[in-house]
Amino acid sequence: MYKKVLLYSFLFLSMITLAACGGESTDGGDESEKEKEINLYTSRHYDIDDELYKQFEDETGIKVNVIEGSADELIERMKREGEQTADLFYTADAGRLHRAKEQDLLQSVESDVLSENIPEKLTDEDNTWFGLTKRARVIVYHKDRVDPSELSTYEDLTDSKWEDRILIRSSENIYNQSLVASFIELDSREDAKQWAEGIVKNMAREPQGGDRDQAKGVAAGEGDIAVMNTYYLGGMLNSDDQEEVKVAEQLGVFFPNQDTTGTHVNVSGIGVTKHAKNKENAVKLVEFLSSKEVQEQFASANYEYPANPEVEPADTLKEWGEFKEQDINLSKLGENNAEAVKIFNEVNWK
Amino acid sequence: MWLLKGVNVLNWFRNIKSNWNTWTILSILFIVIILLPSLSIILQFAAETNENWLHIKEYMLNTYIVNSVILVLFVGLFTAIIGSSLAWIISAYDFPLRGFFQWGLILPLAIPPYIGAYTYHGILNYTGVIQTTLRNQWDITVNQQYFNIMNMPGAIFIFVIFLFPYVFTITKAFLARQSTALIENARILGTSSWRIYYRTVLPIARASIVAGVSLVILEVLNDYGVVKYYGIQTFTTAIFQTWFGLGDLDSAIKLSGTLMLLILGLLVLERVLRGRKRFSFTTTKVRLLQPVKLQGKRKWLAFGYCMFVFGIAFIIPFIQLIYWAMLTYDQSFSVEFLQVIGNTIGVAFVAAAIITIMAVVISNVSRLNRGLFSKVFPKVTILGYSIPGAVIAVGVVSLFIGLDKQIYEWGFTSSYILSTSIVMLIFAYIVRYLAVAYNSVESGFERIGTQFTDASRILGNNVTKSFFKVDIKLIRGAIFGGFILAFIDILKELPLTLILRPFNFETLATNAFNYATNEMIHEAALPSILIICISAISIYAFHHVLERE
Repeated sequence: MYKKVLLYSFLFLSMITLAACGGESTDGGDESEKEKEINLYTSRHYDIDDELYKQFEDETGIKVNVIEGSADELIERMKREGEQTADLFYTADAGRLHRAKEQDLLQSVESDVLSENIPEKLTDEDNTWFGLTKRARVIVYHKDRVDPSELSTYEDLTDSKWEDRILIRSSENIYNQSLVASFIELDSREDAKQWAEGIVKNMAREPQGGDRDQAKGVAAGEGDIAVMNTYYLGGMLNSDDQEEVKVAEQLGVFFPNQDTTGTHVNVSGIGVTKHAKNKENAVKLVEFLSSKEVQEQFASANYEYPANPEVEPADTLKEWGEFKEQDINLSKLGENNAEAVKIFNEVNWK
Repeated sequence: MWLLKGVNVLNWFRNIKSNWNTWTILSILFIVIILLPSLSIILQFAAETNENWLHIKEYMLNTYIVNSVILVLFVGLFTAIIGSSLAWIISAYDFPLRGFFQWGLILPLAIPPYIGAYTYHGILNYTGVIQTTLRNQWDITVNQQYFNIMNMPGAIFIFVIFLFPYVFTITKAFLARQSTALIENARILGTSSWRIYYRTVLPIARASIVAGVSLVILEVLNDYGVVKYYGIQTFTTAIFQTWFGLGDLDSAIKLSGTLMLLILGLLVLERVLRGRKRFSFTTTKVRLLQPVKLQGKRKWLAFGYCMFVFGIAFIIPFIQLIYWAMLTYDQSFSVEFLQVIGNTIGVAFVAAAIITIMAVVISNVSRLNRGLFSKVFPKVTILGYSIPGAVIAVGVVSLFIGLDKQIYEWGFTSSYILSTSIVMLIFAYIVRYLAVAYNSVESGFERIGTQFTDASRILGNNVTKSFFKVDIKLIRGAIFGGFILAFIDILKELPLTLILRPFNFETLATNAFNYATNEMIHEAALPSILIICISAISIYAFHHVLERE
């Protein structure tokens, strides 16, 4: 009798497992509906993204299925899935997009709509991915303690006048990696390494926290300037928490290298996968996301700069003014990423 | 039973054959299942070194290993002290709110450490409630250094307060039911409380404390959220830097393999050091330890200690989260959110149930076999727990894609079924969390020894019958405990859920993480609170069931 109990408990377990499988295969609806659906892997986690996919479904009847994860994990998953994978890959940072392309996971897309909506510079050389939103990595300074005329370039931050005054997050962060990767491209590996060394020397404290924490550190007087992405400051200026707003209001934004190589920008971008089952609908979604109306929503929700040049950025960003951008193809950030990481380790940037 | 004394494997197999095959076959099957995804990782370990590996060795390994060792040592030490002392006070004494603390002190486990890390930083930083109040009310600006939690001591603090319940739960379960005779004898002999704790409780509860601490250590070594946010470079940092930064998964896996070996070595070492000391029931009567009522100052001292720990590890972060959730409630709550709650509970329940059953089978087989082989064999359950979740995910995806390809080729299905369903995720949970339930069940079995089972079998019952008639009644608590620990762990699990879930499948943990990782900690508060509430309810239910026994 007790053997029976054991038997039953295993029957029960296999039933649960089957139910779990079964549930999955039925909730997709009938076959024709299912064929229209597109599958998307994304490393972005913004509510606005979900709203836009929903909007896309309402307009076209094409459902967007989503798995979120970190970019590298998703790339690994795509690699292992081979022919059975998602239709689209969407992630922040050109370095990651390039990595996906390098591993032969993306395919070229020819679309007049896209070439019209998105500047060439924000697009992969082979059209395997397209930038959708843009962010700049700028210097923020304390309005009372720093006169913006003291600021000029990224390179100037290694000057001894900034000793113990700079706040910047850890080298694990992809934004810092891409920043150094851009220096490798514009100057040389040697220059980039010297820059990183100089920054480590001038750090006001060991790197810790996220970009918002650097801004808070400046307000608190731990340092006088910080390097951070624009949308974080935008988020703070419009935060629910009045204290964060107060912090952000003490800070000024400075776009470095305006007379030289330009301020570092990066994108979040999307690409159609090589084995996409539903390329046609996938391209439709990309086109939809690049359209004027959608780009406006993107820009206002997350304080990113729209990739579509016809769309104006959110008011907060407009106040900061226009600026000259680094003039490199963003694929280069990906190509130089591993070198950048090695530089960080060599100069002991935590 | 005593015939089963041989240490060699051959003997062991012979015994299996002659005796109780269902259990053993299942046990071996389960362990093979656990091993499958680890296999690719073990194989990788032998792979050749490349240029990246040399770079890692030169620039990363030394400091990272030192940091990991410091972290593990201090977190292990403090969780052992806090966990076991609380377990002792609550098992042995009666004081105000004792009934509540019995389960209340498990609650910190419901707060994922990385959420706790964000929360404490949120409380202490420049825009946090303390500094804001000082600044706005009294115009005091403090030196940031005194309020900086983002460093090594801060990380140790976070891990200790959110992980000590592992030690507390397992040790308390042991003390309450097992140690009665020894402790009462010590009491009769007039030994002071402190001495009883030090001389009696610590030695006899050693296995339980070690079981708890090893879970804590594994959890710490695996963590990426806290150390990443606090800017502390540990071994796990090296693994992810290598994978994400250098784009070299092979070397990253090699590093994981090193970590895995290290942990296995530690566990074997502990086992050897503990040697023959065993503390199973000394009499056949299992009595509950009767708590002594404390009076006067001592009563409040005991109460104060428990309250202090509970306040820091639960009340303070919880209140902060509630405040944040109130700020953002309207944005983060929707009808779909209910679906997310359903997903979370459903998947955690099913996975935890399967895990618990597997843990019981494996530990029962290991217990009833006397060979060394059968003692070491089940230690592989720990493998999954010692490898970072993201690396397990890679192994699991490979395995399932392979399986799917086979099934597809045989023509059973028109597309890939397994790897697009929830089965893959549940499988990964099993690989990862079997150790949690196993440790709890094993310490339960260790407590009762084999004498009751032996007696039952002499009376003619087979292993299965003995198990259901005798053993299960004695270790019900440990089984429940294992289930609850696995359940809670899965509720807050991150890298696996994120990467292995089917399309459109969100859980509370992924929801909270999505916000937190974008530095939107306010929006992350609501899902975090729900994780905490669901865990709290299950902890209470677990406690209630135990009380009724």
